[in-house]
Amino acid sequence: MVLYDSATLGGSCSGSSSSSSSSKPPPLQQRQQTQQDIDGLLAGAGYRVRSSELRKVAQRLERLETAMVNSPADLSQLASDTIHYNPSDLASWVDSLLSEFTQPPTCPSEFIMDPETNQTVVSDAWTTAEPHMPQVHQNISYQQQSLNNQLTVDNQLTVVTAMEEDSGIRLVHMLMTCAECVQRGDFSLATSCLEDMQGLLTRVNTVCGIGKVAGHFIDALSRRIFQGIGGGSINGGSAYENEILYHHFYEACPYLKFAHFTANQAILEAFDGHDCVHVVDFNLMHGLQWPALIQALALRPGGPPLLRLTGIGPPSPDGRDSLREIGLRLAELARSVNVRFAFRGVAASRLEDVKPWMLQVNPKESVAVNSIMQLHRLLGSDLNRNSPIETVLSWIRSLNPKIMTVVEQEANHNQPGFLDRFTEALHYYSTMFDSLEACTVQPNKALAEIYIQREIANVVSCEGSARVERHEPLSKWRTRLSGAGFRPLHLGSNAYKQASMLLTLFSAEGYSVEENDGCLTLGWHSRPLIAASAWQAVSDGTADFPA
Amino acid sequence: MVQNHHCEDHETVGENKEKRPKFFINDHVDILIEILKRLDGRSLCVAASVCRLWCTIARNDSLWENLCFRHVSPPPSSVRSVVLALGGYKRLYTGCVRPVRSRLGRMRKASWSRDEVQLSLSLFCVDYYERLGGSNSSGRLVGESSPSSLMFLCKPVNV
Repeated sequence: MVLYDSATLGGSCSGSSSSSSSSKPPPLQQRQQTQQDIDGLLAGAGYRVRSSELRKVAQRLERLETAMVNSPADLSQLASDTIHYNPSDLASWVDSLLSEFTQPPTCPSEFIMDPETNQTVVSDAWTTAEPHMPQVHQNISYQQQSLNNQLTVDNQLTVVTAMEEDSGIRLVHMLMTCAECVQRGDFSLATSCLEDMQGLLTRVNTVCGIGKVAGHFIDALSRRIFQGIGGGSINGGSAYENEILYHHFYEACPYLKFAHFTANQAILEAFDGHDCVHVVDFNLMHGLQWPALIQALALRPGGPPLLRLTGIGPPSPDGRDSLREIGLRLAELARSVNVRFAFRGVAASRLEDVKPWMLQVNPKESVAVNSIMQLHRLLGSDLNRNSPIETVLSWIRSLNPKIMTVVEQEANHNQPGFLDRFTEALHYYSTMFDSLEACTVQPNKALAEIYIQREIANVVSCEGSARVERHEPLSKWRTRLSGAGFRPLHLGSNAYKQASMLLTLFSAEGYSVEENDGCLTLGWHSRPLIAASAWQAVSDGTADFPA
Repeated sequence: MVQNHHCEDHETVGENKEKRPKFFINDHVDILIEILKRLDGRSLCVAASVCRLWCTIARNDSLWENLCFRHVSPPPSSVRSVVLALGGYKRLYTGCVRPVRSRLGRMRKASWSRDEVQLSLSLFCVDYYERLGGSNSSGRLVGESSPSSLMFLCKPVNV
């Protein structure tokens, strides 16, 4: 039993009752303590420890525990004779107890490093500002020299991972605090939070795990605070850059492949029996989706149809007609496999600028509209006129497509409140970065990360018309599309089988395909990250059905 | 494996024809082709290094066609023109079919399904498309001439 002088029990919390009351101290108190260098989280539990001493105190607690376990004879002495200090001043308390033990605990001189891959919060590599070393073993021995000379080797690993986890949790808390300050408009406090976080980042492994994601969010927040909500350089990336990043994102993780293959399967099934087909692609990029469809149409029983493809994309700045080049490539492929093919490019910097007459849809052909992560860009509402999404959905409907394939991020990043959006984005992108760890192929991975980083910056630091990444979850899209006159088409078991096979090929444990009421979602460890669905315009009785 | 075939054929041929002191398989290209048709991919590549005649025969795409689809039931029709246009059966096998089948655990299974065939062909087509990009002057869009879309198949499989 530990005795302490109850008169000296001061501090900010009421001792044992604090654990049963609210789990978090009020934010104001926490911030004050942070400014005095007292660790906020421990203060909530009733202990006052300086942040700078956290590492030392943790190590000494470990040693104390080992000592107690190893020499039970001394424990009874502790119970009866010794005077103890106030345990809420944890540093001096543990020092006093340690001095009671005569000999240092015996310890194993080796420890075993568990080279498991990281999850978001716990990381098993410890670095300072040094670059990440590939050999974890070297890492630990390097740290041995740079840490305090009092360190013994015993349980150093547990201490390290505990510290790392602690820093990771602190980072997340500080991110939330900063976001809340931003929402309230308290930019001075937000700025000081940012500085704290940047200091904390140097103590956390930023190559992977929570450190990396946090780094991107800290960047986005500082962008918002210092550069305003206009977006600036994030939205100013050239079309060419975007295509490259998109391509590497395609290579690095299975999300886009899943999107393309699932949409193609749905389009293939919808075009069954039709001889004149027209596909409208809302974002052509490098046209990576279409070779597989062309090949599938070439091999379908009954022979290939006449395929027209209309690709929409941003205009290219320097006189290059990138849309036309992609069209030529696709045409060459189609010619090799004997599919009659025609391509048309529509250059538009925003999807709402496209008018249906530009697509030149022939009334006799069957139309498929394909939107891979494009519809959410239309959700920014202009106060003066209709939301662009309604305009676009109505002209899509007027084309009477046989099928409209919609693939969207499965996240709720369009909430009006900044803090809610921020929280949701933190969870979503942490999961996505975790899933990216499975990719080891460079430079795909690094460029894919830049692609995701741009999305994060747009969600967090932009507002109004600059914010285009307005992701909404599948349930909202269902409501919206049903309200606009579309009915859902079930994706079918072929699409599911194909998606599962694709995942098995990708051979990274952790991805999962799920079926959600006729739609397919791909996610990481049961958190869906991207959702694919198919729709058909509800006939109002007056439209002509194409042959 | 090749040598076993050789010995068996030696006996069969030796009985059917007049006894000759030597039997040289290279004199009987049709039998050689029949033998090579039944090999697995790795052995076929090894066979291609034996001599010039075997090398020429092993490069013959029909051998690889057999290899790709000998276990497919039902065998796909009209695939040949498409596959040849996209780069040939040898490329299809080494680039797509073998990694797909080994990943899906089908190397020893008797037959694989239409879906698996279709997926291999689709991946093969994307591969061809990317190679197209590499050869054009606008190949900088892709950046490298080697097909990058299939690189994920080269990663070691997590057991």
